[in-house]
Amino acid sequence: MATGTTRRRLLATTASIAGASWLGLHWPTLQSVAEAAQVVRSTGAAFAQLSAADGADIEAITARIIPTDDTPGAREAGVVWFIDQALGGYLADRSEELQTGLVTFNAAAGKRFAALSEAEQDQFLATQDQTPFFEFVHTLTLIGMFAMPSYGGNRDLIGWQLIGFEHRHAWTPPFGFYDTPGNENE
Amino acid sequence: MDFVVVGSGASGGILARELSTAGFSVVVLEQGPYRRAGDFTHDELGIFLNYEYFGGWPGPDPQTFRSSAEAVATVPEGGPPAFYARTVGGSSSHFSGNFWRLRPVDFKERSLLGEMSGTGFADWPVSYEELEPYYTKVDWEIGVSGAPGPFDPPRSKPYPLPPMPNKSAGVILERGARKLGLHAQVAPVAILSQPYRGRAPCIHCGFCLGFGCEMGAKSSTLATMIPEAEATGRCEIRPLSTVCRLETDATGRVDEVVYRNGAGIEQAQKARAVIVAANGAETPRLLLMSASTRFPDGLANSSGRVGRNLMFNSHGDTLGSFPHPLNEYKGIQCTRIIHDFYETDLERGFYGGGGIDARPLLGATPIMYAQTGLPPDAPRWGSGFKKALRHHFSHNVTLASLGTSVPLDSNNITLDPQLKDRYGRSAVRVTYHDHPDDMALARFLQSKAEAILDAAGAEKIWSHPVHPQSSGVHLLGTCRMGDDPATSVVDRHHRSHDVRNLFICDGSSMVSSGRGQPTMTIMALAFRAAEHIGRFARNGEI
Repeated sequence: MATGTTRRRLLATTASIAGASWLGLHWPTLQSVAEAAQVVRSTGAAFAQLSAADGADIEAITARIIPTDDTPGAREAGVVWFIDQALGGYLADRSEELQTGLVTFNAAAGKRFAALSEAEQDQFLATQDQTPFFEFVHTLTLIGMFAMPSYGGNRDLIGWQLIGFEHRHAWTPPFGFYDTPGNENE
Repeated sequence: MDFVVVGSGASGGILARELSTAGFSVVVLEQGPYRRAGDFTHDELGIFLNYEYFGGWPGPDPQTFRSSAEAVATVPEGGPPAFYARTVGGSSSHFSGNFWRLRPVDFKERSLLGEMSGTGFADWPVSYEELEPYYTKVDWEIGVSGAPGPFDPPRSKPYPLPPMPNKSAGVILERGARKLGLHAQVAPVAILSQPYRGRAPCIHCGFCLGFGCEMGAKSSTLATMIPEAEATGRCEIRPLSTVCRLETDATGRVDEVVYRNGAGIEQAQKARAVIVAANGAETPRLLLMSASTRFPDGLANSSGRVGRNLMFNSHGDTLGSFPHPLNEYKGIQCTRIIHDFYETDLERGFYGGGGIDARPLLGATPIMYAQTGLPPDAPRWGSGFKKALRHHFSHNVTLASLGTSVPLDSNNITLDPQLKDRYGRSAVRVTYHDHPDDMALARFLQSKAEAILDAAGAEKIWSHPVHPQSSGVHLLGTCRMGDDPATSVVDRHHRSHDVRNLFICDGSSMVSSGRGQPTMTIMALAFRAAEHIGRFARNGEI
């Protein structure tokens, strides 16, 4: 879990991004996506597609792919909620593939993945990280971490903040270190 | 109706504007919806991964791919093998706007270098000098920002707009080039650096590659030509209009265009002449679908060249990471390019040449970055993966190598014999395998890119392996122009050799691929074609 301080910092940054969205006036669609992001707050709610137990396993896998350390990871970003939402939407035709993959995955683990300790999870995952099932969850984790929050993940823009992406719609130079005057030869 | 134009993209939009302002009546049939600037979003998942501008993938009009005529063509999982935007403005709506001109050598390389046996290597029937006024017309009519470089071909007028502000990637490219005695020059772009003709300039949002521009600062035909065509009152853009075939009359002239409207109902539009500008995949598909008793191999295909000589442009990526942040996700894709390796040098052991540019490429947007932007030795999960994700987004640059494709009969667009789209039209089947010289060129340019990044002080450098390409966004060569009806589809004025009132103008007209970045040339060809077609119409020569 994110510490209280981290959480407050993230929220403050989110607020400043929202404050900068005056440009949204010119982009109604972007504005509506941003608003949708504000209503995705389903912590504690039931999954729409996944069973609670499957959801817990999937969430645990995503949390080993992008773990929580001094900053939030896939769990705090709500990646599993993205996956749940996608399975009811654009990934509906791959729902069965994910569920049967998880059954095989758990069978190889000897018990449900979420019931293992983190160390056991890492140890087991090292034997599975070349499988199509892992690849599938890996891809979904990246999409859920970095897609617009309206898709259910990337909560509080945790994914974007991890990599340093700001969705501001408008920038002015200098953009980076090297194009800052005086740094051309640094 | 004087003209039906099939397609509203880089060429169709220009033809519609030029012919309607010249006094002709024009209907443009565009299969995609009429998205306007306010409809464009930054939704990377929807647009990049779920192919919103293609109508989804595989979606209602899928395609198949095979690497050779012996292989079985299948629908690729990843996305369309011939990728373009189905929307008013076509692929000029989602391009990155890199607007190099071709150089004189591109038009006459066959004469300069000699024959390449077993290939379709040929000169163009037009020269750079003949096309130059139309390149200049593109610069000034749609708005191109830039500055001359040391290897540029002659130009009759300066750029109308100053260069875009340089980005860190451009500074890095300049630094590496300087140390190696190469020349980084300003990348010309079809993006406004300043207000121009009532349009607002770029605000550097970073969503150029693959996205429509919500500012209208990207010089697509949607933002430039199409509003001017509509303002004449003589041009109707008809979106959601999917063309099924061109019908010919008893004299062998095209007399109507049969299409489905947005409700799927079959419609027909008669016209004095038809201009097909549907792109290098859809144009040959439509001609092949229009086969009849009189034209059993497809319309305008007595040469057998319709759909052949498909060229994607050779491509390679080299990535580097630097100690300080570049933040390449801000601003346009590309501000500096290197054209020192443009010319073919047979001493290298292969045909071809190309350019190297510095940019985020797929690293401009978070999901594509996370999937493609990490070095090969980075962990794929766990804290090491997270650390790599955190570092590289802001610290990476990609040097993209773009170059020639050898035209080959075996690389082509044909009709899939089994797969149909929602209207029963045969799906596009892409058959493609890069010529060995194209792959050798990509590797050669990658080695130069690695040297440039090293000289510029990169901490880490890695190249993506060069594989034969299985998809393309540059769809070139499939209805090539030429003087000889036996070996080309259209003449030097874009009139089909076989059907007097049928014109074809888009990427398919190109005889050679140039060195990447074909849209500038497609637009110049369209301005030139419009002038000739208008003249023919006025003189009763259609």
